[in-house]
Amino acid sequence: MQSPTNRNSKFIATSAMFVCLALIFSYVEVLIPFSVGIPGVKLGLANLVIIIALYEMNFRYAFAINAIRIVITGLLFGGLFGVMYSAAGGLLSIVTMWALKKTGLFSMIGVSMAGGFSHNLGQLIVAALLVSNLKMFVYFPVLVFSGIASGILIGVVSYIIDGKLPKYLFR
Amino acid sequence: MLKVIKKADIVLFLILVALGIAVTVMSLNGAEDGSVVQVSVDGKTYGVYSLNKNQTIEIKQDKSINKITIKDGHVQMSDSTCKNQICVKTGEISNTSQSIVCLPNKVMVEIVRGEAQFDAVSN
Repeated sequence: MQSPTNRNSKFIATSAMFVCLALIFSYVEVLIPFSVGIPGVKLGLANLVIIIALYEMNFRYAFAINAIRIVITGLLFGGLFGVMYSAAGGLLSIVTMWALKKTGLFSMIGVSMAGGFSHNLGQLIVAALLVSNLKMFVYFPVLVFSGIASGILIGVVSYIIDGKLPKYLFR
Repeated sequence: MLKVIKKADIVLFLILVALGIAVTVMSLNGAEDGSVVQVSVDGKTYGVYSLNKNQTIEIKQDKSINKITIKDGHVQMSDSTCKNQICVKTGEISNTSQSIVCLPNKVMVEIVRGEAQFDAVSN
């Protein structure tokens, strides 16, 4: 039996590692020429880390990892302006995923799918607010489908990876 | 692998897809060839231009310049000082469901229909 302090420091170390991983994923994503000319359509590789953190650790750690990732990614690659979009998407998606996970009805894949969808929805809401025009919602159909597709993909990958991760990381 | 997917996942998937289809149908119904180009900056209307007249509009702000080109019934953002260039990559648009948005410079180009909607024609 480990002492609570020991467990805490372990979680902090794992969180730091996860933030680094998420940052690398965000960077790799910038490198992949996966642009279709529509802002917001991307794989969301970093979400892989967030989902695993949400399942293996808890909401608070997953939330912290996500928040730190968004700010650092924004500073490194996107500029502060991009942070607003990522933050809105990230916030909405992690709260949605947490809520769905709590119901116990959904598998990791369903949770990830909802996360992808709500991430895009959050970004779109901020975009519509910033440009103060609902016309931004012409992007909505594309973003709905791309969110679902990438969410499912990331969900399946998360499930496979989660099964292979050594559990002592989280205990 | 397939055993992982639960019933609720499938229900949620169908709901989201149905939502997506509904939104797509709605936005497609609204699409028709427009004739008036409306340019707005930071949410306020900057100018209204005819889609049938070839011209280039230059929007200068503090640090940014956006060039909008109207040619043969199509509009495109031909040049922008913004970093991501998404507006330029959007390409040409010509019907009412489309718009070009340059978020960094807060410039938006949309197409509205009807000659009667000219509030002012600025050249």
